[in-house]
Amino acid sequence: MSPITLILIALGLGLVGWLAGRAKAWGFQSSDAAERPASRPIYHAWYVALWVVLPVLAFVAAWSVIAPNLVMQTVLASPEAQNLSGFGFERDAFLGEARAVALGQAPGVFNNEAEPLIAPFREAFARYNTIGIIVTVLIALVGGAFAFLRLAPQFGARTRVERTVLTILLLASLVAILTTLGIFASLVFETVRFFGMVSPIDFLFGTMWGPDTMGSPDAVDPSRYGAVPLFWGTIFIGAIIAMVVAIPLGLMSAIYLTQYADPRVRAWIKPLLELLAGVPTVVYGYFAALTLAPMIRNAAVALGATNASTESALAAGIVMGVMIIPFVSSMADDSMAAVPGAMRDGSLAMGATKSETIRRVLFPAALPGIVAGIMLAVSRAIGETMIVVMAASQAANLTANPLEPISTVTVQIVNLLTGEQSTDHPATLSAYALGFVLFMVTLGLNFIALRVVKRFREAYE
Amino acid sequence: MTVIHPNMADESAKIRARDVCVYYGEKKAIDEVSIDISPNYVTAFIGPSGCGKSTFLRCFNRMNDTISAAKVTGLIELDGEDIHGSRMDVVQLRARVGMVFQKPNPFPKSIYENIAYGPRIHGLAEKKADLDVIVERSLTRAGLWDEVKDRLDDSGTALSGGQQQRLCIARAIAVDPEVILMDEPASALDPIATAKIEELIDELSGRYAIVIVTHSMQQAARVSQRTAFFHLGKMVEYGPTSEIFTNPIEERTKDYITGRYG
Repeated sequence: MSPITLILIALGLGLVGWLAGRAKAWGFQSSDAAERPASRPIYHAWYVALWVVLPVLAFVAAWSVIAPNLVMQTVLASPEAQNLSGFGFERDAFLGEARAVALGQAPGVFNNEAEPLIAPFREAFARYNTIGIIVTVLIALVGGAFAFLRLAPQFGARTRVERTVLTILLLASLVAILTTLGIFASLVFETVRFFGMVSPIDFLFGTMWGPDTMGSPDAVDPSRYGAVPLFWGTIFIGAIIAMVVAIPLGLMSAIYLTQYADPRVRAWIKPLLELLAGVPTVVYGYFAALTLAPMIRNAAVALGATNASTESALAAGIVMGVMIIPFVSSMADDSMAAVPGAMRDGSLAMGATKSETIRRVLFPAALPGIVAGIMLAVSRAIGETMIVVMAASQAANLTANPLEPISTVTVQIVNLLTGEQSTDHPATLSAYALGFVLFMVTLGLNFIALRVVKRFREAYE
Repeated sequence: MTVIHPNMADESAKIRARDVCVYYGEKKAIDEVSIDISPNYVTAFIGPSGCGKSTFLRCFNRMNDTISAAKVTGLIELDGEDIHGSRMDVVQLRARVGMVFQKPNPFPKSIYENIAYGPRIHGLAEKKADLDVIVERSLTRAGLWDEVKDRLDDSGTALSGGQQQRLCIARAIAVDPEVILMDEPASALDPIATAKIEELIDELSGRYAIVIVTHSMQQAARVSQRTAFFHLGKMVEYGPTSEIFTNPIEERTKDYITGRYG
């Protein structure tokens, strides 16, 4: 029996409680102003409904964890299970098969040994389902009755309902924050383990990256965990090549759209540009790997650069830059739109042309916001994974030649954590250290950018 | 019907407007206004909110061009030259007809750069020294030099509201205009700053033709020699300020002056 049924029962009873609460509260209505009820009937109704539904939800959450264990214990205690042969994996497999058949998830058993276990499973499920339903209804009735009996003309149902809603909203917002904290904690934990094997100095300043995933975890060679080539590759692709593409194109499109474009043109181009941000990065990735990279290689070879690679930093960087254009453009757009119109009028009234006004007044005034937008774009570019996984190289070269293969932090993390790796091998753990560094850098960039944007907004409000 | 007091037709008029209409889309904001603006006086436009006085003022330097829905018809001449004519460049027009706005709008640059902005874009200064001279002269004329001469590199937006507005006046003066349009220049300022602006207008009159829009009748009476009263997009009465305030011909003007409405 799935928890869904229990929840549906709870909601049904909640509706009954809602109607009952409202019906009772209608009776409180009085024509005498002095005796007017403290809350409107609708709040009394919600008060009862919440007292029915919330305790049941708590019970269902707990029950869905406990019930399967209870079922299993009952089955194991049954006489049929006493005869069960096998041990370890085998035994678990039999139990699993019988369970699946009993739940109707599988048509029949594969191993005959599982056959006799089906009946005990069916029985146990039936018993605990009944218990679950009975307890659900009991909790709902007790909660509902408690709430219903408290209703009175001067009872403050509204404040209680509002407080409950507030708590639910708070919990919802905490989910994201707690998840971030959890991610951070797990990163820190694994990173510390890694730094127990390889010193942070070797990791942060070493210039050779080539973790030996096959080597013995006991004989770690710290000189193979120098992440500088990866940091450089990440910066080179994400913060240099991509930005060389994205900044000019993004700013020019923002200037055109905010200052020159006819409103009808703007209504078309702006959504189209923002559509770029919605293209899945994996699609960009194969565009980079299959279309752009060979073109760049062929062009480079034609120009005489015979060592040009098909996994060049240039292809990944250019495509990443195109992907980032909408970010730069829309932040620049917002910042320029936030510059008061009075400033533009002041410049035009001085006899400045439109382009002088943009260059000398609007752009400088919008600069903090634009810079913040670029920082957000950089933080996105260096954390971007799919494009570089597909278009950049696995080989961690320390080079400034954009035609050579180059690897990034994210590419290495993907490599180290996919496949069959031992979870306590230093090569695997190094992925967490890389992730930790990346996390700190993007966090820092976002933090600074948001501060700048905030101060910028305040300056004009 | 517009009432124009005797002797208001001016052969040497700086600005001559004839049958000017302004439309915002379908709406007619200014309805056939004709006026001569004398170079020697401060001219005030008064009238209740929404009467079109600011819209009409913005015709003189073609600031209505920046509003795509606005359309201006009729003839406006600056020194006998049609400002909408093909020989008139809007950049040159705005260099000759400066403007000060209701809310002080210094650029987010240093005080020096605020003043140097106009001379730079119009190429008025060859050398840094020339620019320094213009900056000092403009700030002096705007009565701001003594207050800011030691901090020309501070941001213009860091000044007080009244100082910012005088900075904007200095900025307008810096390109040596012939006319200065002021759109309620003191309405965002406190009484002391307002008094300084009015004093400044008084000092500048004679050197520049000044047209000021104001919603304060006292201010119009204090600073101007000519007053035009606007109502519902029409110019109701135009004459010497003293006549308008003491002896108006039109009933509507009298009602407005005595505070019956507006």
